[in-house]
Amino acid sequence: MAEEFPFEISPMYEGERVRKGDMYVELGGSTKDGFELVQVVDDPNEVEDGKVTLIGPDILDMEEGGFYPYGMIYKVAGEQLETDLEAVLERRHHEFQPYMQGYMHLNQRYDIWIRISKDMIKNGLKSFEQIAKATMMLYKNELPFIEKMEAIYITDEEKVKEELAKAMEIYKARDERARAMHDEDADVFYGCTLCQAFAPTSVCVVTPDRTSLCGAMTWFDCRAAAKVDPEGPNFPIEKGECLDELKGEYTGVNEKAVELSGGEYDRIMLYTFLEYPHTSCGCFEVIGFYMPEVQAIGWVDRNFSAATPNGLPFSSMAGQAGGGKQTLGFLGIGIQYFFSPKFLQGEGGWTTTAWLPKDLKDRVFEAIPEDMRDKIATEEDATDITQLMEFMKKVNHPMVAKWAAEEEEEVEEAAEAAAPEAAAIPQMPMMQPGMMPQMQLPAFAPSGGAAGGIKLVLKNANIKVEKIILKKKE
Amino acid sequence: MTTIVISGKGGTGKTNIAALLVRILSENKLVLAIDADPDTNLADALGFPVTKTVGDIREGFLDEKDELAPELDKQSYFESRVMSIIEEADRFDIIAMGRPEGPGCYCYANNILRAVIEKLEGNYEMVVIDTEAGLEHLSRRTVRDIDLLLVVSDVSKRGLDTADRIRTLANELNIRVKRIAVIANRVRNEHDREKLKNMAEKMNLELIGFIPFDEELAALDLDGLPLTQLKDDSPAFEAVKEVVERLDLN
Repeated sequence: MAEEFPFEISPMYEGERVRKGDMYVELGGSTKDGFELVQVVDDPNEVEDGKVTLIGPDILDMEEGGFYPYGMIYKVAGEQLETDLEAVLERRHHEFQPYMQGYMHLNQRYDIWIRISKDMIKNGLKSFEQIAKATMMLYKNELPFIEKMEAIYITDEEKVKEELAKAMEIYKARDERARAMHDEDADVFYGCTLCQAFAPTSVCVVTPDRTSLCGAMTWFDCRAAAKVDPEGPNFPIEKGECLDELKGEYTGVNEKAVELSGGEYDRIMLYTFLEYPHTSCGCFEVIGFYMPEVQAIGWVDRNFSAATPNGLPFSSMAGQAGGGKQTLGFLGIGIQYFFSPKFLQGEGGWTTTAWLPKDLKDRVFEAIPEDMRDKIATEEDATDITQLMEFMKKVNHPMVAKWAAEEEEEVEEAAEAAAPEAAAIPQMPMMQPGMMPQMQLPAFAPSGGAAGGIKLVLKNANIKVEKIILKKKE
Repeated sequence: MTTIVISGKGGTGKTNIAALLVRILSENKLVLAIDADPDTNLADALGFPVTKTVGDIREGFLDEKDELAPELDKQSYFESRVMSIIEEADRFDIIAMGRPEGPGCYCYANNILRAVIEKLEGNYEMVVIDTEAGLEHLSRRTVRDIDLLLVVSDVSKRGLDTADRIRTLANELNIRVKRIAVIANRVRNEHDREKLKNMAEKMNLELIGFIPFDEELAALDLDGLPLTQLKDDSPAFEAVKEVVERLDLN
């Protein structure tokens, strides 16, 4: 199939670097404008299959060693194609173009950086038309639902600028659409086991409304990674049946939780804090902590090193709740989760939050509902529980009403104080900062906080061992 | 592709040896030099100072990750960033790993960077990595298999002890190393040679060469000049060349 082109086409050339000394020209990159765009055209009559239009100088008109602007636009049509697929199709461009030997294609969208090697020219490359044709051939071979495809390549400086400006609008619209995607719109969620090395029971569920706890991976990243490397650390989680829309409980997630945690957990709710919360790995950007005295939640990020109103700094709580555990009263999250419409939806969202470090509050300010913005204290308002209580009363925090209501019922309820909130309290006295296991320590440090020893949990284990040798470390 | 790792106790002149090695090997082969020791500067020694490191890319990503386009292909983004910080000399390229990680989560960034660097390495006939004795980058598996682990020692028992420890560490980290050898640097006389030879033998370390103390090299070092200026007939250059031949690397 590659005979008609003067260059080899194969996945083996992917990752090939064209060095400065070996390059004929550089296109796009840090010095010149460049972009790539795939557009789905609804009317198939508007696409002339296989046609290549070049606007600007062709490759042989370019000076050896020169730097040039570069725009590549593809118009595609097909019964099954829709605008939503544009980003997915465009992503493949970075996969297909590097198949051409001597053609280095890096990055995406308006950041593309291409180098064409001298060898390509020596071997008979005469025109961008050949590049465009080879690219379209790969697209159509791999994605047969593309019925018609046409390419417009631009090397004229002014025209690239003009078309780039238009493309920017399209990228922007695409981003807005992606950001508007919610859990209800997705067929599957994704799991991530990247940090299971030190958080062995971690069940990281990444959904459109919930980025990973480390904040590094969105649902889109996981989707791409799972596609590229199906055996890798990211994989789809079928949602299954939705058991509780408000709290975010899905049968698919629960089933996966059993598998990923080695049987440790069988229920995980995605939008709760106090009821079967998401596990906390150790990579999380922020940890939330329930303060029973005020019946509200505080959050602290990694950059805030001082103690929070409960007397503990980030590191102590991360050590206590991290390691992939589901710890009632604590929850690790990624900062983007604050912006999610599902943020603690199961417990009334932001109304349960009472404290944030100043810097973090500034960073997520836009995410806080307007009527809550002045009701959340920072270290400038309160550094301990007493001060926080005063602050909450002063601003009439929504949880204050709950205190009064419960004080009346206290007598009756005292006997049944084993509510989930209360379960978290017995752990608190053990969390003196100096004693806390740090997150770098093995994740199987005893959760009870006692010194030394290990806890081994084997559930549903089926292990055959021929020989076990225990040796003193040399 | 042949992967050579150079390590050793601090202050033994390991980076100078690495620079000379890159210079000699690149006469016949396309070489990628990786500066993986945040305390030294292989790039400077080679005369191509780098301005940005892989560490900078990693930190940059952590800072801007929330602002990136939702559907951005992050692998391709990282790859492009890494490619853009490579310094290209005539016969070799240089990339610096930069400072170690700060607090925060690096699982994702490191996982991608590992793949990107592995792919990059495939473009070269030889990869020479200058790394500290703690083998930090090796433990993070930026490098998988090593063909040759060269440990540079000065004229001291402690230098050889470090070599011994590095050997143990490589073992514990499950890094596959085909061959480990020691180069003794700044050797002054026959007495030094004999003494080191005996000690190495007792420790079961392969001593592959002696690099004499070199006035010209010391002068360049003092002025902070790159070792590309060292003459071909200087004693240190010739001695490293001999090691290259003995190890059959050309």
